Amino acid sequence: MIFSNRNIAILLAVTALTTVSTSCFKEEPLNAECDIEKAWLHVDDVESTFYTPNDTIIEVISTEDKITFTMRGDADITALAPQFTITQGATITPASGSVHDFSQGPVTYTVTSQDGKWSRTYTVECNRVSHYITSEINYNFEHFELDSRYHNFYIWHNTLPDGSLGNDWASGNEGFRLSMSKAKPEEYPTSVLNEGYEGHGVLLTTRTTGSLGKMNGKPIAAGNMFLGKFDIAKAMTATLKATEFGVPFDYKPLRLEGYYQYSPGSPFIDKSFTEYPNRIDAGDIYSVLYLNHDSRGNSVVLYGDNVLSSSQIVAIARVKDIKKTNGQWVHFDIEYEYLKEFDYDILARRGYNFTIVFSSSINGATFEGAIGSELKVDKVRLTCEIME
Amino acid sequence: MKRFITSLLIIAISLSSLANEPDRDDYDDMKNLKNFFHNLEAYGRLGYSIGGTAPLGIPATIRSLDKFILQPNVSFGADAIKPLGRNFGLLVGLHFENKAMHIDATVKNYHMKFTQGGQTLEGMFTGHNDSHAVQWMFTLPIQATYNINNKWRLKLGPYFSYLVSRNFDGFAYDGYLREGTPTGPKVLLGNTDEERGNYDFKDDIRKCQWGLGVGVDYFFTRKFGAYADLSWGLSGFFKGSFKTLDQTLYPIYGTIGIVYKIR
Repeated sequence: MIFSNRNIAILLAVTALTTVSTSCFKEEPLNAECDIEKAWLHVDDVESTFYTPNDTIIEVISTEDKITFTMRGDADITALAPQFTITQGATITPASGSVHDFSQGPVTYTVTSQDGKWSRTYTVECNRVSHYITSEINYNFEHFELDSRYHNFYIWHNTLPDGSLGNDWASGNEGFRLSMSKAKPEEYPTSVLNEGYEGHGVLLTTRTTGSLGKMNGKPIAAGNMFLGKFDIAKAMTATLKATEFGVPFDYKPLRLEGYYQYSPGSPFIDKSFTEYPNRIDAGDIYSVLYLNHDSRGNSVVLYGDNVLSSSQIVAIARVKDIKKTNGQWVHFDIEYEYLKEFDYDILARRGYNFTIVFSSSINGATFEGAIGSELKVDKVRLTCEIME
Repeated sequence: MKRFITSLLIIAISLSSLANEPDRDDYDDMKNLKNFFHNLEAYGRLGYSIGGTAPLGIPATIRSLDKFILQPNVSFGADAIKPLGRNFGLLVGLHFENKAMHIDATVKNYHMKFTQGGQTLEGMFTGHNDSHAVQWMFTLPIQATYNINNKWRLKLGPYFSYLVSRNFDGFAYDGYLREGTPTGPKVLLGNTDEERGNYDFKDDIRKCQWGLGVGVDYFFTRKFGAYADLSWGLSGFFKGSFKTLDQTLYPIYGTIGIVYKIR
């Protein structure tokens, strides 16, 4: 009998030893992240400070380290107290809700993670936007630089009507980097064209995303460039939602012109890499003006899946049939087609978002196209209605 | 641990020299060999293993084990036992076995690297992780045995394994990756083939493993018995050059089965 007791003891020991490595969970580690997830400004008189209440809250994308509040040109920014939602357990200095004079320039905040090992620096600024009277906005693609974090892909700045540089141009380059981290700047889908129509232009190329991209059902990346933001968080899961089209806009666009060259790659493939010998890739250039809030005042952003179909759209201009151009610059000049009546009151409250989109594969958003398709664009000019 | 193994081996060897008291009479070689074999016992074993390839001491970044899926971990083989004295003996065996594992765990800020054809995506992942390991191997146990009586036998000693089929793959899902460091771009991962982060580290698995085995045999009849073994890996599952996972993984498996005395 004594042996059966021993037997049980041994069997218990065996079972215990095999489970010991899976049952002893330690206490949850402290958070290592240190993000500002959301920033907002509470002011007594929203109407006199902001164009729209939606501008008081900013959802911060993980790759952004500059937070810009857009305000009325005559807003008082000498004593503002921005508040922040940061990663749980993290600390921020200066404190959330502390008062600063933003007329002296941007204020730098440092967020330190709960575990104390990581920190991020953010600059917060107030951008007072005045309405400049202009009839023409030029996009010449002369202001570009390598991204500040990785220095391996290009980003562009647009020239704003007051002559300053904006950050309104976005591309999917950041997403491409996830699957092709070793690519050089000129191997990215959206890159600099050294010999543009005048000076530099943009070179959009449909690229393979390599074995990682193929495994994740995203075998190609069309070169794209658009006015808006790219939210990398959705690059793997809801790719069409990663492209947030449009920036608030002060003008009534009338016509869009510019120059392009196109050469389709071959063969045409779909997301499962099936070849279609009879299909030829095409480029895409379009522009959309849309209402950036719904009837209840909630802000609305259009994404890759509804930028051409949403009921929020007010006006569209789209270049037809971008086909092979045999190495010659082709001039395009198209008028905006208004689907809704233009409302100057909405414009005064910055209630319209505006985007221009270029893509080297017209169906690139659904990963259909040809590797090697090239769209070159330069000297884009937007004519707007002159308003007092 | 290495010193422990060495001392075990020394014990086993000294036991055998104790048992084989030097015989002054002259035997010819044939007779010596016959003498060696005349009381050699042989056993056949068939068993099933449960266990895992896991770090010793779960790191805090692994928050919970949500699923543990049983695997076709059969183990079969033969052992020879040379009795050395009244109770002791030396066991040498050859087993063919699978130490597979399929688990689903929740992790927080866990270092991961997704690879495919030379491209990699690396960072800190928070979410769910599904891992699957397969290790078909030949194992050579060398154990000291102790017969408590004619029913019970205890076994202890090292084992050496050679993997003939190896795999370690899986995917991170329903969570997010901070690419590079916790301050890097935050990328959400979903739970379809296209939304997961897949990894495959089969080429980094060590082909030769060794460890310590401990076990017990119980005979119901003169020929038939049951056994329970524990094999504790002491060599890391991955090669030393493998740095993707922060912890060294060790295969730790328990086996239960039936044993048949062939002679």
